[in-house]
Amino acid sequence: MSAVSVPFSFSRLALIASNTFLEAVRQRLFNFLLLLAVGLVASAQFFRDFNFGSSELKFIADFGFGALVFFGSALTITTTAQLFFSEIENRTALTLLAKPIWRAEFVFGKFVGVFAVIGVFCALTIGLMMALLWHREGQLMTIDPEAFASGRIVRYGDLFIVGVLQWLKFGVLSSIVLLIATFSNSNLYTVVTGFFALVICHLQYLARDSWSNVDNLMLRVLVQVLGLIFPNFQLFNLGDEIGQGAALDPLLAGRVAVYAVVYIAVIGGLAVYSFRNREI
Amino acid sequence: MTLAFFSSRSLRTGVVVVTSLVLAGLGLRVVEAPAWEVVRSRQPSLRLESVKDALGQGVTVGLLGGFRAILADLFWIRTNYVWEKYDLPATQTSIKLVTAIDPRSPYFWLNGSRMIAYDMPNWRIDKAGGYDKVPDSVKRHFDEEQSAVAIRYLNEAFGFHPDSPMIRLEIANIYLNRLKDTETAATYYRRAAEHPDAPYYAARIYAELLRKMNRNAEAYDYLKQLYPKLPKEDLQASAQTVLGRIHELEDELSLPADQRFKP
Repeated sequence: MSAVSVPFSFSRLALIASNTFLEAVRQRLFNFLLLLAVGLVASAQFFRDFNFGSSELKFIADFGFGALVFFGSALTITTTAQLFFSEIENRTALTLLAKPIWRAEFVFGKFVGVFAVIGVFCALTIGLMMALLWHREGQLMTIDPEAFASGRIVRYGDLFIVGVLQWLKFGVLSSIVLLIATFSNSNLYTVVTGFFALVICHLQYLARDSWSNVDNLMLRVLVQVLGLIFPNFQLFNLGDEIGQGAALDPLLAGRVAVYAVVYIAVIGGLAVYSFRNREI
Repeated sequence: MTLAFFSSRSLRTGVVVVTSLVLAGLGLRVVEAPAWEVVRSRQPSLRLESVKDALGQGVTVGLLGGFRAILADLFWIRTNYVWEKYDLPATQTSIKLVTAIDPRSPYFWLNGSRMIAYDMPNWRIDKAGGYDKVPDSVKRHFDEEQSAVAIRYLNEAFGFHPDSPMIRLEIANIYLNRLKDTETAATYYRRAAEHPDAPYYAARIYAELLRKMNRNAEAYDYLKQLYPKLPKEDLQASAQTVLGRIHELEDELSLPADQRFKP
């Protein structure tokens, strides 16, 4: 009632976001996952002896993106769920929403806060990975100058763009978890369902592939619909060729970014709609 | 009753959420489809056949997490462990698992096929009683069976490395060294040599196999065309060796002096 009596305010949204951000960075989980990811990226050099298949720089890039995606996904799901439910469980949401605050401000404030936390995580991980690649590439250039006759192989600008795209993917994942949280009754349920959603979003293309040739029309339609409901997270898998000198197509990166931003807006909007129908 | 059910708030919310997501998915196809086509064409490892063998092996989380390369490396170490124990089924399964996890690296395909084609026939002969007791026909049978598995495996690799000269060379080596099929081996060496990134020796072996099959005139023509393309300063190109063979062939073909190759 009070929410409709005041106009939507970005400053209130920013306040909720900054509070969410501070709460998140104070959490042990964030620090633990960040340390793990950073430690893993930093230790990539020590795993070089276990590298058989690819070039060394490719291996470091793969390793870095592996740590980013793995721990980033875990951080996104757990932080989003935890920060949302901490407000519900501590009854602070009741106090907050009793004031003239839009539920949209609350939901998007939470989202922006989590998104900022994940941004910090991505920036640190990618930054460290780039520094490591730069350092190792420099060493390799001294050892084998012929292999680097035309300069550095790794495209650091592309690495940065792929990092940003991963951040946007985590944004989509965060909005999915928020949507789940708005109708879920517990933190645990939200986290588990969030992980399932992550797996489905990563593997939905396989379902589309394997069922596209099925004769049963009903099944085919069902899989097509499921493919439409869940975003395709493999689309963000652009870091594969980095470390081998391949360039990232800016148009492709732009398309993927638009895909993520639209999904964040739509799923975020749905989370607001769902939260408005929820009794706290 | 039905009306009450459909008017329930949570159901209505669910329907709105699902419908909106479907509509969003449909709308975003315009952006997704072209991007997905590009991503997929550049990453053959995203194909269904690539991951279906790896899923359910406890590696799904690793694949999703992006640890494809390191997982494949760890499974490659495991492959070598079972290989040292001459465990044929485990080695063969492990080799296939490695390339299912990460088909991007030719290293795994090449070395895996070598284990299958060159080591496994020997393990089977040992298991059947040893070299002295096993009849030649059985040895040959083992060779043929394992070579067929290795060639099938390498043909799968073309799905991920369609232009790789090294995979063609590996198939050629198996035909030549295990199956003693000079004709087919020569075809594969020639195809490998046609690739700009092929090692120089592929073309030389092809010419030698032509000689072995008494197709000297063909070998001579081939080497004559090859020689001008070889960088003279590159030792691996072995331009002098190729020139020497051209002269040998001229002698064998008894070519008159005026028709002989002049570099």
